[in-house]
Parts: sequence; C-alpha cells; structure tokens
Amino acid sequence: MALTGNVYQVLEDIVGSENISDEPVILDTYAFQYLAETETGTKFCARPGAVVLPGSTEEVQAIVKTCNRYGVKYKALSTGWGVWNAVSGAGTIQLDLRRMNRILDIDEKNMYAVVEPYVIGAQLQVEAMKRGLNCHIVGAGANFSPLASCTSLCGHGLSGIFMGYSARNPLAVEWVLPTGDILRLGSLGSGAGWFCGDGPGLSLRGVMRGFLGAMGAMGVFTKCAVKLYPWHGPPVLPMQGVTPEYRTSVPDNFRFCAIAFPNWDSFADATYKICEAEIGYVMGRQLPPGLVPLLLARSSAEYAQIRQSGMADEIMQEFKHAFLLVLAGGSLREIEYQEKALREILAETGGWIPSLTQDPEVQKLGFSFMLKADRQALIFKLACTFHTSFGAPTAWDAAVAGAKMGEKIKKKYIEKGVVVDDLADNAWGGPYEQGRFGHLEELFMYDPSDPESAKGAVEYIAEADEAVLKGSLGQPIGALPKQAVNVYGPACFNYQDWMRKLKRAFDPNIASDPISYIE
Amino acid sequence: MALLDYRNDMQRCSRCSLCKWPPLAQIKSWRFSNVCPSMVWGNFHAYSAGGKLIAALSLLDGRIDYSDKFLEIVYQCQMGGACDVSCKVTRDLEPLEVMLELRAKCVEDGQLLPAHMVMIESLRNDDNPMGKLKAERGKWAEGLDVKDITREKADVLYFAGCRYSFDQDLWGIARGAVTLLKKAGVDVGISGKEEACCGGRAYEMGYRGELTKYAEHNIETWNTAGVRTVVTSCSDCYGTFKYHYPKVGKTMNFEVLHITEYLDRLIKEGKLKPTRKVPLQVTYHDPCHLGRLSEAYIPWEGVERKVLGQIVIQDPPKEFRRGTNGIYEPPRDVLKSIPGLELVEMERIKEYAWCCGAGGGVKEAYPDFALWTAKERIEEAEATGAEALVTACPWCERNFRDALEQDGEKMKLYNIVELLLEAL
Ligand SMILES: Cc1cc2nc3c(=O)[nH]c(=O)nc-3n(C[C@H](O)[C@H](O)[C@H](O)COP(=O)(O)OP(=O)(O)OC[C@H]3O[C@@H](n4cnc5c(N)ncnc54)[C@H](O)[C@@H]3O)c2cc1C
Ligand code: SF4
Ligand code: SF4
Repeated sequence: MALTGNVYQVLEDIVGSENISDEPVILDTYAFQYLAETETGTKFCARPGAVVLPGSTEEVQAIVKTCNRYGVKYKALSTGWGVWNAVSGAGTIQLDLRRMNRILDIDEKNMYAVVEPYVIGAQLQVEAMKRGLNCHIVGAGANFSPLASCTSLCGHGLSGIFMGYSARNPLAVEWVLPTGDILRLGSLGSGAGWFCGDGPGLSLRGVMRGFLGAMGAMGVFTKCAVKLYPWHGPPVLPMQGVTPEYRTSVPDNFRFCAIAFPNWDSFADATYKICEAEIGYVMGRQLPPGLVPLLLARSSAEYAQIRQSGMADEIMQEFKHAFLLVLAGGSLREIEYQEKALREILAETGGWIPSLTQDPEVQKLGFSFMLKADRQALIFKLACTFHTSFGAPTAWDAAVAGAKMGEKIKKKYIEKGVVVDDLADNAWGGPYEQGRFGHLEELFMYDPSDPESAKGAVEYIAEADEAVLKGSLGQPIGALPKQAVNVYGPACFNYQDWMRKLKRAFDPNIASDPISYIE
Repeated sequence: MALLDYRNDMQRCSRCSLCKWPPLAQIKSWRFSNVCPSMVWGNFHAYSAGGKLIAALSLLDGRIDYSDKFLEIVYQCQMGGACDVSCKVTRDLEPLEVMLELRAKCVEDGQLLPAHMVMIESLRNDDNPMGKLKAERGKWAEGLDVKDITREKADVLYFAGCRYSFDQDLWGIARGAVTLLKKAGVDVGISGKEEACCGGRAYEMGYRGELTKYAEHNIETWNTAGVRTVVTSCSDCYGTFKYHYPKVGKTMNFEVLHITEYLDRLIKEGKLKPTRKVPLQVTYHDPCHLGRLSEAYIPWEGVERKVLGQIVIQDPPKEFRRGTNGIYEPPRDVLKSIPGLELVEMERIKEYAWCCGAGGGVKEAYPDFALWTAKERIEEAEATGAEALVTACPWCERNFRDALEQDGEKMKLYNIVELLLEAL
C-alpha cells in the first residue's frame, strides 16, 4: 500500500470500503491520461496512492481534513479527461467525484441550475431545454462537467458568443477549501440561495479560478449554480438517423450555415459586425478547412481517400476563412430580422454561404453538432490525438494574428511528417460574450502511440510557445500554469507571485496537489 | 488477432469517457443517461471500456499483474457493446474487440472464474453451458408436430438454443415460434436432442476454442442437412451465427434469420395475418445481440498505414462494426402489425439500448449485478407508461423475469412471439 500509516483506513471509514481502492489496476486507469506523453513521454503519469469516491460534501470535507492532518495531498476530478487531472505521485489521493452527479435544481425563473461535479453538459442541456433554457457547452464537447468548467478550468466554447465564458457563468458556489473548511460564495454565503455569485456574501470568483482555473489545486468544488440562457427551440430535439450520423431538423426560428470570406481581414471584420449586431447563438471555427472532409467520411481511411482524390479541394478552399453559425430567433420575425442583418454583413464584407451548408441534410447535421457539441471528439479520429497551441483569450484581430502564425510554424512539422497534414490550418475558436474577446487556438493532430510523432508534438509546442512570447500574443490556452507562469509571468507583471501568495494563504499545507498549477 | 495486436488501440484511447454515455446527441434525460452497466455498478474508471483498455495495456506492459480485482473488472461486464457504439461515433477504435481479446488472454493464462468453469465443464460434457443433460435437450418440443431434421428434410431449421431448450418457463415461446412458422406454411424442422450450443457465450467469456468447435460442427451439420434457412428465437445465437461463424472460414450454405425478421417477412408477404386486437401499450427492449451486435461479419485483412503525415488508416479501408445496421425495425414492425397494440419507445433504444444484464457470463458469475442491470431497464420501461415490456431474446427474458419476481413488480413481460400468437 502506497499510503503510510492508517490513512487508508481513516479514508475507508469515511467513504466505505467499496468507494476506495489502491489496487494497481484501478490506480493505473487514473494514471493514464490524454496528453500524458507530452509530460512524461508515456501514456501514464504518476499513480495516485489511492482513489476515493466521495458521495457528499461532508465526505469530501472529511477526506480533505484527513489529508491535511496526515500530510497527504489530494486532487479532485469531475470527468477526469486530460493530463491536468494527474497527480504528483503516490503521496496524493485522487478524488473521483462521479458519485456526486445530481442536478439539484433548475430554477426556471432565475435561469440557473445547481449542479454537482459529475453532471455533464449533455445531461444539463436536455433537462434545461425541457424548460426553455440552455447551457453553455465548452469546446471539449458535451461530455464536460459544467461545474468543473465554471470553477476549475477554462470555459471557452462556441456557444460563448451568446452564453459567455465559464468564468462568467458560476453563480453561488459551495467550496471545500484546501484546508477542509467550507466556504459558500455569493448569495449562498448569506443564506440567500444560489441566484448570485457576487453577494450578498463573499464574491471570490477571481480567487477561486482566475481566468484559467486552478486545476484541482485550490480545494474541491462540490456544488455550483450555473447560469442558463434562453432556448427558443422545442423542449426535445428529436434526433434522426442511426449512428454515427445523428441529425436534427432546424426549427423554423433557427438557421444554420457556414459563412465564408475571401481573406482573414474580412473574416475578422464580419465577426465583429455579427457580434455588434448581437445575432449569433452559436458561432465559431468548428470546421477548419482540413477537417471539412470529416463531414463526408465515416472512417479515417475514407477521409484520406477524399483528401487524396482531390474531390474536396474546392470545398476546403472555400472554408479557408470560414466559420459556422447558428442563429436563434425568439420569434419568426426575429429570425427574419437576424437573417436580414446577416445578409447585410455579408454584403459589406464580401462573404458568402458555401453551397455545402445549404444542403438540407448538411444543415441538419451541422445544426445538431453545433448545438449539442456531441461530436467534438471527431478530431481524434484521424491520428487519435491532438494538442493545441497559441489561443490566448484576446481581441479577435489578435486571435487571427495567432492563427496565421500557427499556420506558418506548423507547416514545418507537417513537412517533417510528425503531425497530420491538416493544410496547416486548424485554428479553432470563436468570439465570446458578443465579441468582447475571442480566441483561436492552433490545433494539431499526432499519433500518441508513435514515439516520433509524440516527440514532434512536443517540439512543435516548444517552437510555438517561443513564437507566442516573441510576438506578444498572450499565454497559450493549453499551457499548464506550472510551467507557463515561469515563461509568461515575467512578461505579464509577474502575476505568478499573486497566484503563489493566494495558493499559500488558502492552502498552508500545500495539500491540494499543485502539480498542474503553482506551489 | 491477439491482444497484442490491439496495443495501439489501447494507447490511442483518450480517456474521454464517451463510452460511459449513449452517443451524446441521444441523451434524453438525466435519469437515463448512462449506457455502461459495468461502470455504474463498479464506479471506478477501470470498469468502463476505456478503463479496460488501460488495464489491458498496463498488463501487457508489465505494469500490473493479474489479481482478483483485475478479473472482476474484466468479467463484471456483459460484453453488450454499448460502449463500442458510443466510442465509434467519433473514433476508429475497437474497444469491444480489445475486451474480447483480454478475456481470451485471461483464459489462456489460466485466469478463470469458477462460475465460468462450471459452464464450460457442462458445455464440454453436454453441449450446453447450463448444467443440463444433453439427453433432455429436445424436451421443449415434445408433442409438437414438427419435423426432426436428423431424420427428414426440411427447408427451414428452427434452432432453439440452450436457454429455450432447458429453461422450462420459456418453452412456450419456442413452441409458439414453431407454431407460427407452421401456420404460415413454412416447411420447418428442429434438431431435438441433437442440437448443440452455438458457442457464442463461451466465446464472449474468453473460451475461443469452444466457438470454433461448435461453429464447425453446426455449419457442417446444417450444410449436410441441406437447410435453406436457419431461424432462431435466441438473439445471442443469432449474433453468433451472423458475426462469429463466418470467421471460422467455412462456407455457410444457408441464410440465418432471427425469428422476428422471419415473422416480419411472413406478415409482409401476407402469410401471417394478425387480425385479433391486442389492446396493450408496450415498450420494446432491443437485445444487444439482435441490435448493435447482430451486424454481419465483414472480413477485413489488411495493414495499418500512415498517410498525410500521421493519419492512421486501415489499408484496404475497413468497415467498422458500429451498430448501424442492427436488426432494429423488424421486431418493431411485427409489433406495429398487431391491431390494438401501441408501441412506445424507451429513451435508450436500438444501437444505444441499455443491456438486460444477462450477457457475457455475468448472470452466472455476478447474479446481483445482472439483476440490478435488469431493474434499471425495467425502471426505464415503466417510465414510458407502458403496461408491458416486450423482448425477443430468452436471456433478456429470463433476467427480466427474475428481476420482476425479486421486486414483486407488476409490469408485464412478453416475447414478441406470444403477442403475435394472441393476434392471430
Ligand atoms: C480534448 C479536450 C478538449 C478541450 N477543449 C476545451 C475547450 O474547447 N474549452 C474549454 O474550456 N476547455 C477545454 N478542455 C479542458 C476541460 O476539459 C474543460 O475545461 C472542462 O470544462 C473541464 O471539465 P472536465 O469535465 O473536463 O473536468 P475534469 O477533467 O474533471 O477536470 C479539469 C480540471 O479541474 C479539476 N477539477 C475538476 N473538478 C473539480 C472539482 N470539483 N473541484 C476541484 N477541482 C476540480 C481537475 O483536477 C482538473 O485539473 C478540453 C479538454 C480536452 C480533454
Ligand atoms: S474507449 Fe473510446 S470512448 Fe472510451 S475512453 Fe477510450 S477513446 Fe473514449
Ligand atoms: S460491454 Fe457493456 S458493460 Fe461492458 S464495458 Fe461495454 S457498455 Fe460497459
């Protein structure tokens, strides 16, 4: 047993023997992670000392206090997808929060839901839609945890144009601090319910997550009220088709299309105009040109055939400066107005709607995957993994500048054959909060089971990061704070000093494993 | 293929957990949004398909060794393949194949479950995994006016399978199926006590040799008997004939149909005319092996190659088994042909249906888990408001019956055959 003394026994007394394990086979399934190869050179990170499955806030609190008492670290995860869930070693207990999986309330009038960590976006969305509401879904896809996104990591997704960034979406939060004390943020702190994140009661959103999130290094978030937004579609969106081609009809008061432009400048101008007109519901660069053939292929071999035959060249060319857009009207008159506004913007910027997305079947497909974010993981199909570069949250013009730079650097690695030839252009992202800011991250695909490819990925990131620094393009979205603060901190008023001070003030024993964050 | 051949698939799993959910677009409520019984029962990630891929990689790489927990993770799973469907919405990976190979490796390495050993012992002695005497196999058909194909020729062979042959509670359904075929004028025969197991259950438990043995034996017997069609009411047998038998490389000179496909055909040809009203609201449970696991085997022999840099392709292109072409409509069409009967759907249906809980050797090795899985499905059926749950597989039926009995539930349970008989 990796844990010393009777810690295991104490934890077992808290959660019951069926909810704790230090069996190597169990531990390894938490050590294995997406992107582990970029950190450790293998698919495995360090094994935790044990995995614990708490079922309530009280149990979480008791575990955290035990860890503080015995000098053991802990790290929580909600769905546990990505290397930022990894622990620093056998001295850390992994808290898998999957037993805390309830939607505790959906308050229709005040437009929020109270969720536990293991509620996923797809669940919350269907329950919200039944009540005329919708939730923001991040780019990872609808299998993400809205609580984790609101409290602990990032928050950008293509519904962000209308539904904001996840840092903006948490209302009241229940937080088991790194020491084990419970803090209730916002209105919950003064017993006034969940409706507000900023009071009456403490408003500590900045401390709780900053811009990116503390990635499990600031205690455990056990409940969160998440903002919901209007949904003007039917309570249930009936899906047609059989796997893997699910689709849904576009309701009369919605529109789906791609919008293409002759160059990056007009692409950027149109984005600003759409945001100013406040007409977008879901919008972004979901299908960069190299990924468009995925719409037509079921397997990677079919994709390759399409690419190599040249039959999609024209379509890919058309998608070079394009994004996908869903418009939602509260009424038929409103959707007509939005359509008219869009047409005017296209006329002003020289944009057009590619014929591919005028096809009714493609519309059904595109509408369903933009709205439900159910097939984001398609990007894994080609080489089985991908990673990201650039993508700082910034002004849209700067995001576009990052995309251009990414393309230039990636070309070299495509030539070396270590990453997928995606035409060097896989900039994914969109404008958020009606264009207040946005991001475009340069994704690249590689094969994690191929050491040369994995090594190439690491080299590409290093070069991209250097370019970011030189070009003052902002901290890359995929950089783990642990390393990033040392690189970008000095260029940004040494913000890491504040992070460190906060971490130490809230976590004097450094019990909440800082491996992905800051110590 | 051996486990080692799938090492890349294991490394390429991204731990996204999509195999724990139905395809995300098909989630309809919080309550019925899980798709993997093993995961909900076991709770640690290891119990999911992705978890089992990692466990397999870890074993292959010598990071871990066999343990009781390892075997529990491997075998506490019905092999129903819902995970495989969900994974393949976005991936070209083979999680179910890896899990099958992992079981085969466990068996090869002598890592056996006592409950499964009992089944295999019975299979070796009496050609059935149910601990029954071979001599009693044909009893279900006693007094039924049907040809014995070991003595006379028939166009169609009705294959009862082990569960219908030995589970007396279910004999009526097998007899009913033959009665329906005869009513439609089908020249049908059975093999009686000479019938032998399909071998599918053993295969899914990791015992590869048994499948090859029974596949060779059955194909040869039926070819020799000259039957045109083999029809079975058992979904497990059906899935085995369609997907696993072609792998042994023997020509099959007969068509394989599930009884629901055949009945659907007979109704559409006007040979069976359901005219009597059956005023009942029902919901239909898709058995895994009749649904997502029933797609015909498409042989693929080739290599993995890289193109356009790092794109991993199968050369020649491989048709992945995604559950797209399972037998979903024929059972529904039979039900819809019955006057007065109304079909309402559950939330998890067709390729992403929740499993009944009986498969993969789970009912025998982990009966509590099997019953819990069935109860979860019964709750889903009840949530539709239907009065009855209908299925088309004896294993599902046995497990649902046991679950309903244990909880004293009122929901009625039918096989499609019973309802059609009532309607004639
Ligand atoms: C392929 C992929 C694509 C992604 N794309 C995007 C994207 O486009 N936009 C975006 O915003 N994010 C993205 N992410 C990052 C991340 O998945 C999301 O931010 C997500 O919202 C977090 O939810 P999760 O369910 O993935 O959390 P998890 O993976 O469970 O956790 C994420 C982090 O938060 C910590 N954590 C989780 N829950 C708690 C808790 N209750 N208390 C304390 N700490 C906790 C974990 O330790 C971990 O460090 C992506 C991730 C992957 C793997
Ligand atoms: S098996 Fe497939 S769906 Fe499951 S975690 Fe791995 S990649 Fe994801
Ligand atoms: S076969 Fe069924 S029980 Fe086993 S991992 Fe897949 S979904 Fe879960």
